[in-house]
Amino acid sequence: MSKSSAIISLRGIRVDYDGEPVLHGLDLDIMDKEFITFLGPSGCGKTTTLRIIGGFIEPLAGDIFFQGQRINGVPPYKRQVNTVFQRYALFPHLNVYENIEFGLKISKLPEKERRQRVEEALELVNLRGYGLRNINQMSGGQQQRVAIARAIVNQPKVLLLDEPLGALDLKLRKEMQVELKRIQQSLEITFIYVTHDQEEALTMSDRVVVMKDGEILQTGTPQDIYNEPQNAFVADFIGESNIIDGFMHKDFLVEFANDLFPCVDKGFAPMERVQVVVRPEDILILPAEKGKISGVVESVIFKGVHYEMMVEALGYHWMIHSTMSVEPGTVIGMDVAPENIHIMKRTEEE
Amino acid sequence: MMKHLRRFYIGLVMAFLYLPIGVLILYSFNASKSRSVWSGFSLRWYRDLFSNQLILSSLYNTIVVALCASVIAVILGTAAAMGIYSIRNKWFKSAIMNVTYMPILNPEIVMGVSLLLLFVSVNQIGAGITAVTGIPMPELHLGYLTLVIAHVTFCTPYVILNVLPKLRQMDKYVYEAALDLGCSPSMAFFKVIIPEIMPGMATGFLMALTYSIDDFIISYFVSSATSQTLPVTIGAMVRKRISPEINALSTIIFVVVLAALVLINLSALRQERQLQKKQGGGA
Repeated sequence: MSKSSAIISLRGIRVDYDGEPVLHGLDLDIMDKEFITFLGPSGCGKTTTLRIIGGFIEPLAGDIFFQGQRINGVPPYKRQVNTVFQRYALFPHLNVYENIEFGLKISKLPEKERRQRVEEALELVNLRGYGLRNINQMSGGQQQRVAIARAIVNQPKVLLLDEPLGALDLKLRKEMQVELKRIQQSLEITFIYVTHDQEEALTMSDRVVVMKDGEILQTGTPQDIYNEPQNAFVADFIGESNIIDGFMHKDFLVEFANDLFPCVDKGFAPMERVQVVVRPEDILILPAEKGKISGVVESVIFKGVHYEMMVEALGYHWMIHSTMSVEPGTVIGMDVAPENIHIMKRTEEE
Repeated sequence: MMKHLRRFYIGLVMAFLYLPIGVLILYSFNASKSRSVWSGFSLRWYRDLFSNQLILSSLYNTIVVALCASVIAVILGTAAAMGIYSIRNKWFKSAIMNVTYMPILNPEIVMGVSLLLLFVSVNQIGAGITAVTGIPMPELHLGYLTLVIAHVTFCTPYVILNVLPKLRQMDKYVYEAALDLGCSPSMAFFKVIIPEIMPGMATGFLMALTYSIDDFIISYFVSSATSQTLPVTIGAMVRKRISPEINALSTIIFVVVLAALVLINLSALRQERQLQKKQGGGA
């Protein structure tokens, strides 16, 4: 994947809804051919950002560049992007074939080329032979595929997807995640994906943009976001995590839970107050006397692959994921490997 | 026992509904003028009907006015429905909706009188302007124009009330999807919005047509002697004496409406069957 050129750049984008700021000064570069995901809770401004790129919302301030050209004020029908809408927004009065053909007809392509491209699109989304079906004869997953075909048949440079899997059941969603990634790779175009589902974001994306309250909190690969969250919100939003206050004694040594732990972070002031993130699956369960932290198991829930345990130690409730189960009431010891301790600067608001 | 009772009851209801029409049809074939004595089968009244210029011209007026008024009402009503649909303010919206209901709830006699007053006062204002400025103002005579205006007034709400639910049912993102796929706003409107709300517009059109053809009271106030619609003409005739030609005309109208209904139902049935076949074969 070439990561050299930005296909879309947002600079200082501000949007208000009825005087309420939704996006305050957003800056972002989206690279050519990447699968980028805007991830955040509802109301974080991720869909608004997508709609700005699609041309459905004009920002109050700031500039949008498409391949270096400023495209503020360019209406949606003149932009080289296509959108897959949340509830598909298929045209019920047209059949599957006509829905997919719609954009090509508008751009007055000759009949022969239209047919060829529609057939290719149907092929790509695994719907060959469904052309003459009515939209309301299709299942949710199939409608989803039609919506994708209808967008990509126009060969956009960028495809915008607004929570496209939100209405599907879990199993179908997982299938479509793989499918979408395959489609993106075979088309070699940029996908901009909006979701509030962190697992979806981690599965498909090359890069994840975590947003909250109209601001970007962190941008990075799924691994970066998961392993090196920059603040408590990201850590908590991306999977379960234990977040505990601590002090950075010196480089590579942190104190929390009344004990000193070696770690791999540096660059903090001596005795700086920090927040420590430990993923539930990274906590080792040891016999009571061998662990650095000892606590009492409060509850155990079977989750399929693992058990989820809550352990109380020094007033903090630790969440542990482990394949072995420990009886509630047992006193256990806990330890964490240095590379599994993530140190974040303290966010004052929290 | 219950079965017989049920059948008897249905028969009773049907008789109640259709007996008057049956009697009317029967007497339209009566050879004599009498409304009570049957004196043999004859097509005389049908022959007379088609040579009665007054009735024929009234029928023509009725159809022309109904078609004009319905078409205008569909255009105005659809535009109004889209406007109402996009109003964000709740209070303003319900105020506008109440204004919309008004012509439907208002007694027709009030509508008729007020429309007549309006047309007369427009002329007076026009005359006033002419007197002051010397510019000749066109006069509004009672006739086709006033009839159409009046009918549009009470037909438009039916269109609005039929189109609005279709707009609400519509996925509001289909318009954006059309823009996204390259449609200009006006293309998106004609290619996506109109097909979506078409059933509502069609129902609105048919209701407008029906109410316009039916209307007596309002038309009575705003028509002239030369632009009388059928209900007005019949109303005037009834005051003297019901001519058996009216029986013949009513029979024809009834048969036409019945035929239209049967046709609509048959085609709906056929469509449903086709859809079932498609679904059965496709899955």
